[in-house]
Amino acid sequence: MRRPAPRLRRVSVVGVLLRTPRGAAAATWLALLLVAAAVSRAWTPLDPFTTDPYSAWLPPSAAHLLGTDSVGRDIASYLLAASATTVVVAVCAGLVAVVVGLGLAALGSLTARWVRDGVAVLIDVLVAFPTILVAMALAAAFGGSLTVVVVATGVGYGVTIARVSRSEIRRVVREDYVTAARASGAGTAAVLRRHVLPNIAPVFVVQLSLAMATSILAEAGLSFLGYGASAETASWGRLLSDLQKFLGVHPWTVLGPGLAITLTVLALNLLGDAVRDAADPRLRTRSPGRGGTLPPEPRAPGPSPADPARSPAPEVTS
Amino acid sequence: MRPARLLATVTAVVATAALVAGCTSGGAPGGSGSPDPDATVTVGLVLEPSDLDIRHTDGIALDQVLIDNVYQGLVGRTQDNEIVDVLASEHTVSDDGLTYAFTLQDGVTFHDGAAMTAADVVWSLQQVQSDETVAGHADLSAVSSISAPSDDTVVLTLSRPDSALLFALSGRAGLVLEQAATNDLSTTAVGTGPFELASWTQGDNLQLTRADDYWGTPAGVGTVVFRYVTDSSAAINATLSGDLDVQTAVDATLSSQLEGAEGISLETGKTTDKYTLAFNNAVAPFTDVRVRQALRMAIDNDALIAAVGGSAVDQGGPVPELDPGYTDLTSVDAYDPDAAKALLAEAGHADDLDLTLEYANFYPAAIGDVLTTQLAAVGVTLTVDQVDFTTWLDDVYTAPADGSPRDFQLSMVNHAETHDFGNWADPSYYWGYDSAPVQQLYAESLAATDPAVADQKLAAAAEIVSEDAPAEWLYTATTLTAVRDGVTGFPTSSTSTRLDLSELAATE
Amino acid sequence: MTRFLLGRLALFAVGLVVASVLIFATLRLLPGDVAQSLAGTNGSPAQVDAIRASLGLDRPVVVQYLDWLRGLVQLDLGRSLVTGTPVAEEVGEKLTVTLPLAGLSLVVGLLVGVPLGVVSALRHRRASGALLGVAAQVLAAVPVVWAGMLLIALFGVTLRLLPTQGFPVDGWDEPGRALRSLVLPALTIGLVEGAVLFRFTRSAAIGALDEDYVRAAAAKGQTTTRALVRHGLPNVLLSVVSVLGLQVAGLVVGAVVVEQLFALPGLGRMLVSDVGRRDLTKVQGELMTLTALVLTVGLLVDVVHRRLDPRLREGGE
Repeated sequence: MRRPAPRLRRVSVVGVLLRTPRGAAAATWLALLLVAAAVSRAWTPLDPFTTDPYSAWLPPSAAHLLGTDSVGRDIASYLLAASATTVVVAVCAGLVAVVVGLGLAALGSLTARWVRDGVAVLIDVLVAFPTILVAMALAAAFGGSLTVVVVATGVGYGVTIARVSRSEIRRVVREDYVTAARASGAGTAAVLRRHVLPNIAPVFVVQLSLAMATSILAEAGLSFLGYGASAETASWGRLLSDLQKFLGVHPWTVLGPGLAITLTVLALNLLGDAVRDAADPRLRTRSPGRGGTLPPEPRAPGPSPADPARSPAPEVTS
Repeated sequence: MRPARLLATVTAVVATAALVAGCTSGGAPGGSGSPDPDATVTVGLVLEPSDLDIRHTDGIALDQVLIDNVYQGLVGRTQDNEIVDVLASEHTVSDDGLTYAFTLQDGVTFHDGAAMTAADVVWSLQQVQSDETVAGHADLSAVSSISAPSDDTVVLTLSRPDSALLFALSGRAGLVLEQAATNDLSTTAVGTGPFELASWTQGDNLQLTRADDYWGTPAGVGTVVFRYVTDSSAAINATLSGDLDVQTAVDATLSSQLEGAEGISLETGKTTDKYTLAFNNAVAPFTDVRVRQALRMAIDNDALIAAVGGSAVDQGGPVPELDPGYTDLTSVDAYDPDAAKALLAEAGHADDLDLTLEYANFYPAAIGDVLTTQLAAVGVTLTVDQVDFTTWLDDVYTAPADGSPRDFQLSMVNHAETHDFGNWADPSYYWGYDSAPVQQLYAESLAATDPAVADQKLAAAAEIVSEDAPAEWLYTATTLTAVRDGVTGFPTSSTSTRLDLSELAATE
Repeated sequence: MTRFLLGRLALFAVGLVVASVLIFATLRLLPGDVAQSLAGTNGSPAQVDAIRASLGLDRPVVVQYLDWLRGLVQLDLGRSLVTGTPVAEEVGEKLTVTLPLAGLSLVVGLLVGVPLGVVSALRHRRASGALLGVAAQVLAAVPVVWAGMLLIALFGVTLRLLPTQGFPVDGWDEPGRALRSLVLPALTIGLVEGAVLFRFTRSAAIGALDEDYVRAAAAKGQTTTRALVRHGLPNVLLSVVSVLGLQVAGLVVGAVVVEQLFALPGLGRMLVSDVGRRDLTKVQGELMTLTALVLTVGLLVDVVHRRLDPRLREGGE
């Protein structure tokens, strides 16, 4: 008798997540970030944009937890306000990536053969395009803005998601239980809902967290170049850009914003890793710690180069 | 274990290479010893001219490199803005101020070998006087005739006295070009100065070489290379690494990087760089003088000066210290936020003003940020729009073709020109300030034959302007120049408008 | 092999065409009336029409595209909208900075990532291996900009060992100085890329440790290290090669940001300033050049990978 499809029990994922120290740390940081973003909309210690040139470059103190910048703005308040921007960009980019990714993946696996093949080629071609070039093209056409960042990263990573999802969809669609379901009369939608989606879900969540991490790095880089957040929007990347001019005189003020970005991206990466490990033990690459050898990694002949599902790190887009 | 050893070796090699490269960096700082007549001096400037047409292209970027060095006029000016004779060996002005006579120097030649004649001088001046597209045309408006009664004399006859004429002749209006020359002015230059224009690579550098047949004392260096670096920290790095011998317009917020540097000294100098926050006087709410005064009182100039590094002075009115007619007007509409709020309330705009400030993006963002905070403190919401210079020219400076008022509210720009009070007596200038008393006083100042009287009239006019508050004078910059040890004779004042390099000398 | 080559070349060509269409569409069709913005708000309709005609913008879109495509094939990228100078010349000049930077960054990335990845795999059950893994994880999360700033702060400002910014005016005439200016930038990009390569190498090496032939060699008495290095390394390196293609995209990205941070006169920096000036023709040319570079490297990498992988070679080739 064949086992039913291994369904993912949501409880176990979260449980595993919080049990590993890395997963717990990542989840904690992200929770803190969400809280900070929410709080900053209502309150910050000082107004992040108020200047006070007589108080420029103050070292950290009780009044200014991280000191002040070249025109006397409170860096801590600014970082807090910018966390909201980060959350918004990450979530929006993630959404765009998901929509684009699923859409393209569906087009590429559930339609007529010629459409499928055409989309497959298109996906393979688009995957190679660096996101930043997409962003620069849009910025040249429309001027820089956070929307450009979100669209560019969302579309850029959406194509990667499409590629991964497509191969996953095709894999799952060939499984016996799907054939059985089809044979027993279930429609495509029902098959999708009950069998395909839950099984590609783990890969999907991993890709989503990587997409969000990539979008944060992209926002930092593009805001640094001047094509991301505008002057009225607090942004970690923009603060880096403002501080760049003064690297020769106040080099270590860049620690604040840079650390914020790094920790957030790290947390998202670790989250993705943890979900992947929890969801499918076959994909684990580390020792389980209890002795004994690992089963060898499944290796198909002719690996597709840089299959993002097996990639442990996101594209560096900053 | 091979991988570990390989790794260690690689790390060692890379680290050693970096250290070796670091230690064999740039040579010893500028040497001692006598000046080298064939030295090459590299000078860092900021804004590059779009082309070199001294007759038709506006912009002090051309004056900066070409006047005094390549082109010369009948008279010139010292760093203290005093008039000196250059191509004229002497000049006289009649008592009624209507006749100016210049005796020409002997043996002056152009860079192409031709001798300068009185005819060249007359032709040059007539070009400016008759053609309104030529830069400096307005300065010669009082001149009715230009003639050369003898081979070495040129006489200007005026229809009315003009106290600003002599100074104008030290600028674009008085330059002498060769009548017979046919060179393309936008990329080449033929003049009488101590340097010849050797080459211009747009976007990179402009080179001058010593003119060996110069009629006066030859230049002290063989070549001057002007490099245009718009990024202020890049410029400082270039100075520290030795790529620049002299750096003009050092950013005061970063100057501490140069202060301790070996072999480099920082010089301070005065300028007429007036950072002016102009109101669009033709449109509401700026038609109400109370609003204008309130905005002036809301601004703490000292804070702004601190924000740009401290190398600037407060200026309460339109005339800077180096120009005639200067008096200290800083007490007019001085910083007083409470009075500003009261005045705004009286004018009916207690907290409903939503204004936009537009300025070019090569100015520091700090200015806009600080102004936003200061105006917010009196209930005015300011939005800052930094645009590129062409857009600013389009939006603010150029008059709309259909005669409608210009479409801006607040604008900030550095009016670097000297002796430019005339803009306040010109109702068609972009800020739209039209005051009969000021125009009257200015005309009287021009008509005065006694320089002291001219000064007095200007000062009176300036005071009226300041009290009318058509703009706020944020500050007048003091300029910092970084000079490598061994380089002498580099001007330190008004370096954005003129750079007379005839005394430049360098060792090694 | 030939069949693969032809197929891969076809994919490459399709990629170039798709890129050209997308770039052209984004930059010609989306920004609105280019002629109007060049003439300025005060331009008369006659001036706008004149500009439009001189730039050939009044012709049908398809004709404009084909014209541009024809120019691309002849390596003519048109003229700048702002200065009128030929784009291809300037692109070529800037590439003399960007290509060495990308190359150096790749070398640094490989030197850092691959050996450390192998070491970490050999020690993956011990603390040192785990530590390396964590370090790489952190490094991969660092924005390239910040990494550069920290390196400048450390080596340029505090220790004053290397130039903090800029590239010698004479370019490569003084190769020593030019290389010195590229050390920090290449390190910046290389370290972050190296972190990514580290993780690939590590996972590939761990996988190799479980291969039969490696275990067999270990059983015969060789140390695990020697067994891995002598038998497993080729496969590990093969996996790394397969991933290099995508990493080039990361190098391009890094170059754009790093050139801006270090004030290097390269293609990335020129792209950033041209986007700011809305010089659409130049941006088109620059984007096309960069995309073509990425696709070309991807093609070369795939071909090399295919050539080297014994399992993928068809019999007799």
